[in-house]
Amino acid sequence: MRSPRSRLEIALRICAFGVIGWMFGQSLRPNAGVRVERVRGADVSARLPVWTRQSANVALHTELDAAPNDWIVDWLAALRHSGHVVTWSGSPPAIALAADAVAGPGDNVHVAVAGPDRAVIHLRDDAGALDSVRVSTMGATVTTPGVSGDLIATSGAQRATIQSPDTVRARAVVVIGNAGWEGKFIALALEERGWPVIARFGVAPGVAVSQGALLPVDTSRVAAVVVVDTALQSLASSLDAYVRSGGGLVIAGPASLSPVLATLRAGAPSARFTPTALPGDTIGLGATGFYPVASLAPGSIPLERRGPNGGIAVAARRIGAGRVIQIGYDDSWRWRMTGGPSGEAAHRVWWSRVVASVAYAPGPAPRASEGTAPVANLVARLGPARPAPSISLASQAVDQKILMTIALLLLLGEWASRRLRGLR
Amino acid sequence: MSAEFVFATAQYESGDWDSAPLLPANIIDTIARYTEIPVAPTGVIVPLSDARLFRYPLVYLTGHLPVRFSDTERRNVRAFVDRGGMLFIDDHNHDIDGTFHKTATEEIARTVAPLTELPNDHPLYSAFFRFDGPPTTSHELNGWGDNLVHKHLLAVQRRGRISVLYSNKDYSSEWNYHPDNKRFLSVDNTRFAVNLVVYALTA
Repeated sequence: MRSPRSRLEIALRICAFGVIGWMFGQSLRPNAGVRVERVRGADVSARLPVWTRQSANVALHTELDAAPNDWIVDWLAALRHSGHVVTWSGSPPAIALAADAVAGPGDNVHVAVAGPDRAVIHLRDDAGALDSVRVSTMGATVTTPGVSGDLIATSGAQRATIQSPDTVRARAVVVIGNAGWEGKFIALALEERGWPVIARFGVAPGVAVSQGALLPVDTSRVAAVVVVDTALQSLASSLDAYVRSGGGLVIAGPASLSPVLATLRAGAPSARFTPTALPGDTIGLGATGFYPVASLAPGSIPLERRGPNGGIAVAARRIGAGRVIQIGYDDSWRWRMTGGPSGEAAHRVWWSRVVASVAYAPGPAPRASEGTAPVANLVARLGPARPAPSISLASQAVDQKILMTIALLLLLGEWASRRLRGLR
Repeated sequence: MSAEFVFATAQYESGDWDSAPLLPANIIDTIARYTEIPVAPTGVIVPLSDARLFRYPLVYLTGHLPVRFSDTERRNVRAFVDRGGMLFIDDHNHDIDGTFHKTATEEIARTVAPLTELPNDHPLYSAFFRFDGPPTTSHELNGWGDNLVHKHLLAVQRRGRISVLYSNKDYSSEWNYHPDNKRFLSVDNTRFAVNLVVYALTA
C-alpha cells in the first residue's frame, strides 16, 4: 500500500511529464502556441531587436500610417524568412519620387512624384522647403534649381527620399543657318537662358559669321545642334554620327527640307501652312505659319498638332543614343518681338526647353534607390496589407516559458519529497 | 517669304524723319549686291508709335531737326530694344552739338540709356567688310569745308550687343543717292551698311 506522500510524488511526476508532453505535442502543430504581437509603426524599430531574439512562435503585426524606412522593411523581411509570421495593415499614402538633372544651364533638377489623386506633396531638400505640388491623376512634375543634399517628398506622415542627382555640365549649343532673324533670336534666347552658344550664320557664298569654334561637333563639347534652315555648311558630314552617339538635334522650320537631314528628321514636311490671322490677334508661336510634318518617320511621335487640319507642328524621334526634335515653326522670333509683354520671356523659355529636351546629358552614376517608393517596397517585401492573424485566446494565454517553469517546479517538488524521505 | 530682311525707316512725330528718301533703296541694293541674305525689294516706313515697329528688328532713324519722342514712341522704343531690336540713328547734319545731336542723344538717354563711344575694334567693323573704325564720309572730309571728322560712333550696348547705334557721320547724306550711281564710285561708300545689317542679323 503506497503512502499518500508516495502517491503525491507519482502525481507530481505524471503532471510534469504531462506538461512536457503537451509542450512537445504543441510544437509539432503549425501555428500552435503562436501569439500575436501588435505594434504601431512608430514603435517597430524599437521592437525589432526583441523580436529577433524571440522564437518563431510570435506573429508580428504592425499597424502603419506611413511606410517604415527601408532598413526596417528589410529587417522584417528577414524575420519573415526566418519563420516568423510578419504582416502589416493600414493605408499609408503610396508616394514615389524620381529626380533627374536637367541638361542645361542653371543646375536644374526635374522632379517627378507619384501619389494618390489630389494629394498634396511637399518637396524639400537639406536646405529647406523647395515647393509643393498637387497630384493630378498620374502624378506631378516640377523643375527646381539647385537641390542640396537629399530630396525629400512628404505627404502626411509618408515620406520618400532620394539623393539629388549630379548636375550636368552645360555643354554648348550650336545654332547654324543663314543670317536671319530666326537664327539670331534663337541664339539670343538661349544665351539669355545661360546656354553657351556657338553660332555660325552664312552671309554670302563662302562667307559666314561665327561665334565660337564650330568643329569638332561631338558630345564632349556640344549638347545640341539647332539647324535653322538648309544651310548646314561644314556640319553636314558629321551630324549623323554626332546624333547617333547621343547628341541632340533640333530641326527648325525649312531645315527639314534639307536632303542631308532626310535620314534624321522626324518626318517629311509638306508646304508651309499659314493660319488666317484676325486683326486683333496677338502674335503667338505658330501664328504666322509652320511647316507641318506630312508623314512621320518610323518611330517618330507627334508632340504638337496645330491648325484646323491638325497638322503636326512638332515631332520627335530617337536615333541611336541621340534625340531629334523637328519643329515646323520658322519665324518664332515674331513671338518674341511682337507677342506682347510676355512674348519675349515665353520665347526664351520655350527654346531653352526645346533644346534641353534633346540635349546630350551623360547618364548619372547608379544610385541606391532607397526610399524612393516606400510603400511599393513594403508590398514587394512583405506582401499587401492584411489583418493580423487570428490566433485562439487559449493558445495565446499560455506561454512556453511558464509551462516549462511549471514542469520544472513539479519535478523539483517530486525530487525534494523523495530525498526528504531518504530515497534517492 | 517670312525670312526676308526688310529695311525699315522710322517715322517719328517731331522732326524731318524722311530727309533721306533714296537711302533705303540704295542699302537694299548693297545688301543684295554683296550677300545672299534674302532682302525685300522695297523698304518700309514704320511709325515709332505703331506696334508694327516690332516686326522690323533693325530700324533706321535720321533727320536734321530736334527729336522729341511722344510717350507712346518712347514706350515702344524702350520695349523694342528690350526685346532685342537694334535702332540705328544717323545725324543728317554731321555737326557737333547741333540740335539733332543734342535732342536725339538726350532722348535716347531718357528712353534707353546714355550713349557711349563704340570702340573702333568692335565686331561691327568686321562683321562683313573690315574697317578700322567708322568709315569717313565725303561730308566730313571737306564736303562742307569743315574737316570735322568724328572718330567714333556712339552706342548703347546690352549684354555685349548693340541696342542703339548713333552716328554723327552723316551717312544719310553719303548714302542718299540712286543705286545706279554706284558705278561712278571707285570704292562703294555703302559697304559699311552691309556690316550694319549683317551685325544686326547675327549678333
